[in-house]
Amino acid sequence: MSSRRLRITLLVLTVIGLGVASYLTYIHYAGIKPLCGRNGGGCEIVQTSEYSKLAGVPVALIGLIGYVTILGSLLAPETETSRFATVALTVVGFGFSAYLTYRELFSIHNICEWCVSSAVIVTVLMCLATWRFLRGDAAASGTPTQAEIGGPEAGAPLGAAHS
Amino acid sequence: MSTVEDDEQDLTRKQRREQARAKRKELEQAEAASAVRRTRLTQLGIVVAIVVVIIIAVVIATGGGAKKGVPKASELPKVSSEVTSLVGGIPQNGNTLGNPNAPVTLQYFGDLECPICRDFTLGALPSLIQKYVRGGTLKIEYLSLETATKEPETFKTQQIAALAAGKQQKMWDYIELFYHEQGEEDSGYVTESYLQKLAQQVPGLNLTTWTSARSDAELANSVTSDGQAANNAGFTGTPSFLIGKTGGRMQKLEYSSLTEPASFDSAIESALKA
Repeated sequence: MSSRRLRITLLVLTVIGLGVASYLTYIHYAGIKPLCGRNGGGCEIVQTSEYSKLAGVPVALIGLIGYVTILGSLLAPETETSRFATVALTVVGFGFSAYLTYRELFSIHNICEWCVSSAVIVTVLMCLATWRFLRGDAAASGTPTQAEIGGPEAGAPLGAAHS
Repeated sequence: MSTVEDDEQDLTRKQRREQARAKRKELEQAEAASAVRRTRLTQLGIVVAIVVVIIIAVVIATGGGAKKGVPKASELPKVSSEVTSLVGGIPQNGNTLGNPNAPVTLQYFGDLECPICRDFTLGALPSLIQKYVRGGTLKIEYLSLETATKEPETFKTQQIAALAAGKQQKMWDYIELFYHEQGEEDSGYVTESYLQKLAQQVPGLNLTTWTSARSDAELANSVTSDGQAANNAGFTGTPSFLIGKTGGRMQKLEYSSLTEPASFDSAIESALKA
């Protein structure tokens, strides 16, 4: 996958996650019920439980802030630092989602589909961001990756790999 | 001839030098790449370690399991009198609290070990009992649905212990005491002595009759049929509720809070008007 395509995939996933977190934050403050799957009750039970807030801050809002920060790191000019920022933020997001899923399964005994979807998104984000960080990037560092050096276009200008 | 040979030898020497240089360069590049990879992996490892430490700290700070307010032995008489003042004087029949002819019926699907059911029982429920049950407008039926209890056998035993108190029209005293004195989740606190201790706190409960009622097959069947009723309603979590006119069609009750009675109030009012 080219680094441009990878970045776009990360951006799209982040925007979807941002949408989910925005919706959950909105319904929290508006005091309305979440649109939920087949049984209806799970989301409300999770959203109104004592674990829906962390130190008084709604977890939905924490998620929203998280996605905005991830989006910021993706929109920043691509450097080693920005890629590290993305991977660090997604690892934090994954950890937070893992904690919330643990609470859903073992403390609340109910599952909220919205939270699960966000957890899946952040997990995929983390995997892709980790891959992106570990493989490095020719466009940002000025050094082509091994994959980009090899092959018949070895003599082509560096920019050609991304055109 | 000799000039040509010299040229060829020179070329080979030159080629060899270039090859060696290229090899060296390749090695250096490989070393540099592996150093970068090592640095990145270390950075990633540090981030993961920090996140793991933070999560553990958050889990500990917010309570390893669920937060529990297990009362001390000295507080038990206070809990017992609280429960008595809440449900005392209200007619009970088996799993039902309230006037049998109440116009509205609320079915409460719960697991006695479920901490969220505790939130409801200690949160919104007392207000509903005072406002509607005591006045004869509402009756509440308690049905069993296993969620928080890990062991099916423990679940059956504890729910039957409550139903057995219902044989003496004291199931709600037992349920209330159970939720008030609920222990740390998954700590295995539901033992025979815990169940006995609760029974001893129910005022006027004949312990011998209660003990023999616990082996009644009818009560075990009741727990099973409650689970089937929950399944038919599509419930997988607790607490879950059905509400409707007594003898009429029951509807799923949607709530926005378990500690504030507002959603329950409006559901009861609309069932009354229906």
